[in-house]
Amino acid sequence: MSIVLGAWVATGLTLFIFTFLYRDNPFFKLAEHLYVGISVGYTLVKAVDTVGVRLLYVPMIEEGDWSLLIPLGIGLLMLARYVPRAAWLSRWAFAFIVGVGSGLAIPRVISSYVLKQIEDTVRPLVSMTPDGLTFTASLLNPASNLNAIVLLIGVIAVLFYFFFSVEHTGPVRVAARTGIVFLMISFGAAFGYTVMARMSLLIGRLTDLIEFADPQYGSPSLVLLAATVIGLIVWSRWGGRARTGPTDSR
Amino acid sequence: MTFADRMLRLDRRIIFLLVGLCTLIPLLYPVGLAINISSEVRGVYDYIDSLPEGSVFLLSLDFDPASKPELYPQAIALLRHAFRKNLRVLGMTLWVSGTGMAEQVIGQVASEMGKVNGKDYVFFGWSPGVSAIIISMGQDLYKAFPSDYYGRPTNTLAVLQGVKTLRDVNYVVSLAAGTAGIETWYVFGKDKYRFELGGGCTGVIAPGLYPLLRSGQINGLIGGLRGAAEYEVLVGKKGRAVAGMDAQSVTHFTIIILVGLCNVFYFLSRSAQRRSEQHR
Repeated sequence: MSIVLGAWVATGLTLFIFTFLYRDNPFFKLAEHLYVGISVGYTLVKAVDTVGVRLLYVPMIEEGDWSLLIPLGIGLLMLARYVPRAAWLSRWAFAFIVGVGSGLAIPRVISSYVLKQIEDTVRPLVSMTPDGLTFTASLLNPASNLNAIVLLIGVIAVLFYFFFSVEHTGPVRVAARTGIVFLMISFGAAFGYTVMARMSLLIGRLTDLIEFADPQYGSPSLVLLAATVIGLIVWSRWGGRARTGPTDSR
Repeated sequence: MTFADRMLRLDRRIIFLLVGLCTLIPLLYPVGLAINISSEVRGVYDYIDSLPEGSVFLLSLDFDPASKPELYPQAIALLRHAFRKNLRVLGMTLWVSGTGMAEQVIGQVASEMGKVNGKDYVFFGWSPGVSAIIISMGQDLYKAFPSDYYGRPTNTLAVLQGVKTLRDVNYVVSLAAGTAGIETWYVFGKDKYRFELGGGCTGVIAPGLYPLLRSGQINGLIGGLRGAAEYEVLVGKKGRAVAGMDAQSVTHFTIIILVGLCNVFYFLSRSAQRRSEQHR
């Protein structure tokens, strides 16, 4: 029974969200508000249960680990912001968080992103083998010498593009322009992946709608599609235009 | 107004409808286009395949239901592979909003493969702190997660025998929809505790993770629905991701044509505008 109910709710909310492709309407708003409300409610309940009950109440009250009063006290200082006269106390909590967070993050991030990436960028442009120096020219092999050269040119050219202390004329202009080409290729790849991701989401929802068109669920996809279309027609004829006005469809 | 101008002012809902149909029809009538396996997906598969029976595999499901279509099939394929290899599976999430879904996918695949909760796998659930929780796991797993998702003390679970910290974990895979995710596991986990790390991610964040792959900071990357489909093929059990590949290919082809046509109409419109200005 819960699976069938879930199928009806999922189908209805998916169709309601899709109605935004036509124009903004009350069905979309209902689904949108439900999504926001349920997400926040779920997160809040999980956070209270995990932090308040499992990580604080159980160890302190049931196991007698009173050392947890220290992080609890620091955490509670955050709430002092709501009391104007005691708001300054919250700075202690923030100072603790910023201090510990920065101390943990800065060395790790420098090691992981800056040093490791520099190490990977500065690769040998030719390889030393028992037979002597060799040069691999395969573009398909990320570790080839040709790709090492392409990477090096790309990094230097993009750095030149973001170097604003010198006017972009002469050789600097050539380097900066080359940098733009590399940036454009990078943006294109990112956009291509984004399109793929968005289409995957559409495929996911359509796959569910196809599955829920099955009579074992009561065919919610077909029933609710018809109901949503009728609802949209009724709303746009008698209610929509007066309240929201026409939407630019281009 | 020229034909090109009219096309450039086309009601965008017609394009939505076209893209919708191009996605729906291949889902209803699949043709089964070939799926080639990329080296980055094979990296994850080969590493899991090389692990001996009883090795510890930690799967961090760092996503919420908004990324379910891309990452859920990846999770199913990875779990099937890990359970088939008789690895000890530790599940968790860094995203509080994904806790219920993560528990569902692990339980679903485990029951399908006949695995026992607490003996063959454990689901820790979510704990706050993100970077702090990874560091805490690196120091003492039982302090980071004193109890599992179901409230059982973790130090009594058979699946965790001999596992004290992240150093005892053979392989970690983070399925990430953003931050916290793969990068967090690398920066605060692998870099210090020296376990092997692989990743799966949504298509949107995949390009940003390729530098980590190239430098060897992660040993494989499953990117989006496409990556999930490749993993399903490798595991030999086709699922939702493979079923969606025809639709993905047809939709991409449609979008390429639409982008091409848009450019053609744009240049036609601009040249017509120039001609009319010259005539004046």
